Amino acid sequence: MNFHNAWLVFKKDWLEIKRNWQVLMPIIIVPIIISVAFPLIIGSIGNMPTTDVAGNQDFDALIPNLPLDVQNMLANLSPNLSTVYILLVYFFTPFFLIIPVMASSVIGSDSFAGERERKTIEALLATPISDSELLLGKILVSFIPAMAVTFVAYGIYMTIVDIMTFGMFGGLLLLPNVTWLIMMFGVTPIIALCSIGLTVMVSSKVKGFKEAQQISVVLLVPVIGLMIAQMLGMLFLGPLMLVALIGIFAAVDVAIYYLSVKIFQREEILSKQ
Amino acid sequence: MIETENLTRKYGNLTAVDNVTFKIDRGEVFGFLGPNGAGKTTTIRMLACLISPTHGTATVAGYNIQENPIKVRQSVGILTENPSLYERLTAYENMNFFAQAYGIADSTERHKRIQELLEFFNLWDRRNDKAGTFSKGMKQKLAIIRATVHKPPVLFLDEPTAGLDPESAKEIRDLMAQLSNREKCTILLSTHHLEDAEKLCNRVLMMNKGRCLLIGKPDELRERISNPIIQIDLTQITSKILQALKANNKVKEVNTKPQEASLLVSVEDIRAVTPEIVKTIVEADGQILGVNTFRASLEEAYLKLIKGEEKQ
Repeated sequence: MNFHNAWLVFKKDWLEIKRNWQVLMPIIIVPIIISVAFPLIIGSIGNMPTTDVAGNQDFDALIPNLPLDVQNMLANLSPNLSTVYILLVYFFTPFFLIIPVMASSVIGSDSFAGERERKTIEALLATPISDSELLLGKILVSFIPAMAVTFVAYGIYMTIVDIMTFGMFGGLLLLPNVTWLIMMFGVTPIIALCSIGLTVMVSSKVKGFKEAQQISVVLLVPVIGLMIAQMLGMLFLGPLMLVALIGIFAAVDVAIYYLSVKIFQREEILSKQ
Repeated sequence: MIETENLTRKYGNLTAVDNVTFKIDRGEVFGFLGPNGAGKTTTIRMLACLISPTHGTATVAGYNIQENPIKVRQSVGILTENPSLYERLTAYENMNFFAQAYGIADSTERHKRIQELLEFFNLWDRRNDKAGTFSKGMKQKLAIIRATVHKPPVLFLDEPTAGLDPESAKEIRDLMAQLSNREKCTILLSTHHLEDAEKLCNRVLMMNKGRCLLIGKPDELRERISNPIIQIDLTQITSKILQALKANNKVKEVNTKPQEASLLVSVEDIRAVTPEIVKTIVEADGQILGVNTFRASLEEAYLKLIKGEEKQ
């Protein structure tokens, strides 16, 4: 495989995406909501009178799963501050998995299905770029922007959280912690790759961009499932659980990549026109 | 340069291309003629390694299409039915991408080649405009530039002059002639414009319903498909003249041009039969103003062949 050819496909697609607001809008707006709007709203709870806040009863199922030192710390905090702490440090963690899954599925859906819809696919498939180079190029163009936007969102979220809570928690920087670091550098890329592999595969099998995107939305279901499971106390996304997730998704990624290469058929992509 | 052997492509029960065998030499312009659905595009797609044959085989530029598809694609430039351009990219960005995809790694060489081709088609001044803002004709020119940017030894052109104004169509015909004569590029031209085929092609292949009907030089095909015609201009066409001609067993067909009072008499051998035809008309009291002989155009020959096929 010639990596230069894959990079060439990446550069061409990226140039197109940069000029396509239909693709850019969702991958800009969703991270802004998660990384800016959420911490600003939650952070303001800390400054509210205690009577206005329901307290942390809603997290009764989650709290026993937290590390002991965190549980002890929460016991000494006011209801407002413990709510802020749980929401900002634990509750929103899985939300950051939505960003790479959503961004990569939006871009990935546009890969083959978008080219087919715009009738550019035949000339691309006629070039001497091999199947695996083409597939890798399409994966890269979903992966790199999805990761970039996710890391920027992480950075903004952590900065806002630390600025807002620095005074509330007596000079303690809440983020990043070990869980968030594993999440950022381990879980996020591995889940993004999984989402991209599946989306590109779907995109090469369906007729249009919208159809591919609709099918790809299904990929958000397991992420939302993780959020709900954590809320209900069924699991806790601590370091051990995250490392386990990395292992599982890494295996899934390898399987998806080999499956994608195997089922990738130039002919079928063309015949869907 | 291109050789096919029983090339066949089926889609379920439909046979899009049925045992097509032909050979094209280096530098030859070879025309594919046939109505919509004849199998021309499917054949080109197989030769460009975009789809695989159901059976049969082919070599392009010395490479087998099934065994060495990447080498085939490197050796081929293709103009598809649609211009297939990235509309959000500029003309230059489009060409730069495809030039690199076809292996022109050196940026100076790439730039020089793109400039040369864009200037040939008077598009250099529009190089920084997005392809989406181009007219249909300009997009077609850009697509031809894309097909030729890497100087391929083999070119597949599917309807290259479709939708173009006469001037642009001539530019493309000139480029094809230049590529064939100077650069010895082998061109497979699929077209409905029989005028293009007649002007440019060394040989043509007529296809219908996936089958190859005839292969040969345009002149030879016209001779094989249609009889020569004698045009006789008269002062008046009478039923007596028509009856006399139809009674002559050397006459294959008689058509009239009433407004011009001309007869179009189809025969097998002009030299042997013309004096006899003239004599027949004079004996039927016809007053002849002029006599002309000619052959049917490739278009007429083509239509006759296709209609004959459809009747069968």
